[in-house]
Amino acid sequence: MSQLFTDDLFHNKGALAAALKQNGLALTPDEAIKIKERIGRVPTMAELFVFDIEWSEHCSYKSSKHLLKKYLPVTGRYVIQGPEEDAGIVEFTHKDGHRYGIVFAHESHNHPSQVLPVEGAATGIGGIVRDVDCMGAMVIGVADPLRFGDPNGRYPDRTKAIIEGVVDGIQQYGNALGVPNLGGDVIFHEGYDDNCLVNVVAIGILREDEIIHSRVPEGGVGYDLILVGKPTDRSGFGGASFASGTLDQEDEEENKGAVQIPDPFLKNILLHHKATEQVRKLAKERGIPIGMKDLGAGGIACCSSEIGSSAGYGVEIHLEQVHVAEPHLPPEVILCAETQERYLLAVPKDFTPEVLKIYNEDWDLPSICFGAGAHVIGTVLEEPVMRVYSNQEVVVELPIEFVVEGIRYEREAREPKVHFTEPSLPQPTDLSEVLLTILRDPNTANKEWIYRHYDTEVQGNTMIRAGEADASLILPLDGCRTGMALSVDGNPYYGEISPFWGGATAVAESFRNVAAIGATPRAMTDCLNYGNPEVPEHFWALEEGIKGLSEAARRLSHPNCEEPIPFVSGNVSLYNHSSTGTSIPPSPIIACVGVIEDASKAITMEIKATDSLLVLVGNRYNELGGSDYYRAIRAGKGANIPIVRYEEERGIIYGTIRVIDRGLALAAHDISAGGLLLSAVEMVLAQHKDAPLGMQLNLSQIPSDLREDTLLFTESSGMLLECRTDHLEAVRAIYREFGLDVYTVGHTTADRNLTVLNKEQQILLHFPVETLRTAWRGSFGLSLAS
Amino acid sequence: MIDTNKPRVAVLQFPGSNCETETARALETVGLSAEVFRWNRPSAQLKEFEAYIVPGGFSYQDRVRAGVIAAKEPLLATLAEEAGGGKPTLGICNGAQILLETGLLPGLHPGRVEMALAHNYMTVDHHVVRRGHHCGWVNLRCEVDAPRTPFTRWLQKGQIMPITVSHGEGRFISQDPSILEALTVKELVVWRYCNDLGVTEEGLPVNPNGSYQNIAGICNPEGNVVALMPHPERAFYLRQVPSVWQGEWGEKRKRLQANPDQWDAPGPGYALFASLAEHFGVRSPLG
Repeated sequence: MSQLFTDDLFHNKGALAAALKQNGLALTPDEAIKIKERIGRVPTMAELFVFDIEWSEHCSYKSSKHLLKKYLPVTGRYVIQGPEEDAGIVEFTHKDGHRYGIVFAHESHNHPSQVLPVEGAATGIGGIVRDVDCMGAMVIGVADPLRFGDPNGRYPDRTKAIIEGVVDGIQQYGNALGVPNLGGDVIFHEGYDDNCLVNVVAIGILREDEIIHSRVPEGGVGYDLILVGKPTDRSGFGGASFASGTLDQEDEEENKGAVQIPDPFLKNILLHHKATEQVRKLAKERGIPIGMKDLGAGGIACCSSEIGSSAGYGVEIHLEQVHVAEPHLPPEVILCAETQERYLLAVPKDFTPEVLKIYNEDWDLPSICFGAGAHVIGTVLEEPVMRVYSNQEVVVELPIEFVVEGIRYEREAREPKVHFTEPSLPQPTDLSEVLLTILRDPNTANKEWIYRHYDTEVQGNTMIRAGEADASLILPLDGCRTGMALSVDGNPYYGEISPFWGGATAVAESFRNVAAIGATPRAMTDCLNYGNPEVPEHFWALEEGIKGLSEAARRLSHPNCEEPIPFVSGNVSLYNHSSTGTSIPPSPIIACVGVIEDASKAITMEIKATDSLLVLVGNRYNELGGSDYYRAIRAGKGANIPIVRYEEERGIIYGTIRVIDRGLALAAHDISAGGLLLSAVEMVLAQHKDAPLGMQLNLSQIPSDLREDTLLFTESSGMLLECRTDHLEAVRAIYREFGLDVYTVGHTTADRNLTVLNKEQQILLHFPVETLRTAWRGSFGLSLAS
Repeated sequence: MIDTNKPRVAVLQFPGSNCETETARALETVGLSAEVFRWNRPSAQLKEFEAYIVPGGFSYQDRVRAGVIAAKEPLLATLAEEAGGGKPTLGICNGAQILLETGLLPGLHPGRVEMALAHNYMTVDHHVVRRGHHCGWVNLRCEVDAPRTPFTRWLQKGQIMPITVSHGEGRFISQDPSILEALTVKELVVWRYCNDLGVTEEGLPVNPNGSYQNIAGICNPEGNVVALMPHPERAFYLRQVPSVWQGEWGEKRKRLQANPDQWDAPGPGYALFASLAEHFGVRSPLG
């Protein structure tokens, strides 16, 4: 084996550090020395690159894995597959004697999207869709939680360019792929000026007996390893390490090379319902067990070592058999590049010719994308070793367990010394202007200018889509009324004041959102976006966030079953800090999947009839910290962010589900950012623009000592329902079972006005709906689109 | 599933098509036999079918411009012959783009490309406010009497139909004023975008792409070949219509919540597929 690194180098840490950096390796000298000691010789260049990826934060979760293990609940009666493979699986429903599962996973493409927004966002979808698809699932939806800098802040031009690019990447890739966009959310905060967050969730459905595992099947020694898809090129080389470091502007050009190049056109054919389905169908008919895994971070190196080691086997790879886009690629590039749209299959040798024919002839991959195809690149070995040849020369020879076991770091956590205080301000004399300011704010204003670019309807199963309710709803199984609901949440304005409550409220809000259409929370996937784990204060925030998620998942369990709502998959994205050391606000983002057995009962958020009652559930507390209101009146961040009162929150969530199940609500909308008033306004604005209804709210109906502005804008958890008058007592009785009182805070009207009466029943606010709609349209979206 | 007793409809599939599954499902549901026909099969096999749908998607990645590469495939030459012989043919979204690029539509001089589906632009008060891909629900007004095409037998002139659009290039245009004139004279406009009262207002949100005279769908002079930018297969069931929708369909949709037995009630797009079934004497199960 050839060695560019000499033995001497390993005795001089300074020179070793320089040599590592010069070769584009992010490994530390200590890590390199550890590798040498473990294998008993100087590692080859290709081996160093394998560890560079395997030991990156992105692949090994070296700072976070012990925390995730310690805190997050991952099991439960509905869990079919926990977080150990490419995607988690949770029970959806039973049909015709079969159990069906929802497959879902969460990914971040934050660093790539900051430097190349279009490609970064597109490959984010590409990667996560492969994770779900390779489990044997039909991909039925994607959703994008997005966090951008302040569009009117320090870098307005760059921020707008990133927003535009990210939205463009999502729509170009997602629309062409033929997977509906099931929503997501968008939040602007100056803390993302240097580090946008582009998270992405993918959802799939499968029959339990059709799961394909991301490992070589039992008895698979001698199986062929078939690489399918795009020809390997240099793209994404070093991507996992890049995603695990600090974004430095001076490295921008180099960083761009670490971003992969998307091809949704090729992917569409590789996806489950086309070429790969034919392979799976045939394997099933013949009773041939196969394994399949997508190539993501670390390319062939990571994928082949994991598909083999997770079955207790080894792998042998021949790099010269890999189809490549250009000649003379160094072995470490072929081995580790993150070229998109590739999968690895493990199939028995005698099945190989048919698999190759399906991809290369029936679906004609080479004509669809220049150089694409399916080729045998290696074999499964009994001996637990990872052995890689490049033109007969061994370039990697490692114990396979050592490759995949990763590395652990115990990071130090320290609570930062920051003190948050509540402002003491009188109630503004004109709350009307405050409301209009909140409505115009990019965080609140209508996001149609974003989501109208996304195809929400392809596959023909969408029932409730973005903008119509707190969660979206699709019907993924033909001839079955069971619906799948999805919501994504996480409020950075809370997280920056209390990372713990930032985590717990994200879980609670995602449950409320799913409940608001009538679905029951079933499982979650999280994406934990934080700063530099090597900075004790940043690491403390991560640990606090995970604790918050965990506590909420455990304590917001279903009333009939004291089991936590599990996390079946997730992702950790660290090093989201700028070169000046400033971290993003702690940003745990939760995607919650809910199930509604009879989707015909699902409801949306717009008010639907005149003279129905508006029913408030959930007490109001003085919780304006991090609120839209404080930002609108420039009162600073405040301190009292909303916390989760678990028993009350359970009543809000599970009481609402029962109310909707019994057909007692016409509309429901949760109370979160913007408080009671914004929820009410949104129930009015969600109507068709020509709809004839308005609303009157009456604060005297809420028994509370809080000031009127606090009552209207506090972001304490709650639910606002539209109910028929004759249903009120039944609704009240249901929430009472959960120990909650409800308040009739208003009614719908036949005029197109919104009126708010104060505690003395005098008019506090009065607007034509059209005025609110104009403000809500915002100014930012249109200027960006034109 | 091939059922020899049912009229067979081919759903053409090109690299990048992405609506073939739900289109085939819609055809099956109304009682027809649907088969997804892959681009690299011998084109002569296409003659065995009695009707054709070119579904939505991004054939050949919309390279050059949407639909133009698929339009030059041997499959389309065979399709043009069969359509010329009178077989019902419908292009939806990217399928519409393909049929225009082959010269099958408007088909005043068959084989000559007479119109294009240009990049969207959305206007408010005559100002362009937005370009690019647009997805959402709109209303269509049927502009022809039921017998005009095999896809409108369940419809009436003036009927309003909510439906979804999702495209980046959906603006019907032509360089040739005589073609535009012929559209009206020869009754080639099948659907126009309109508001919930049936008025063809210009600009957003009624006209989602700036299409000439709000045109959403056209047919050839014989009426057997139809192109439609919106997606009837995605408005196939009532439950898919947004609950906020105004008008008759919106009212029906709001009542769905209280009537779970209406779960499988047909949506506005059902009529197009059921019309094709009726054209072949097949009675559709719903409606």
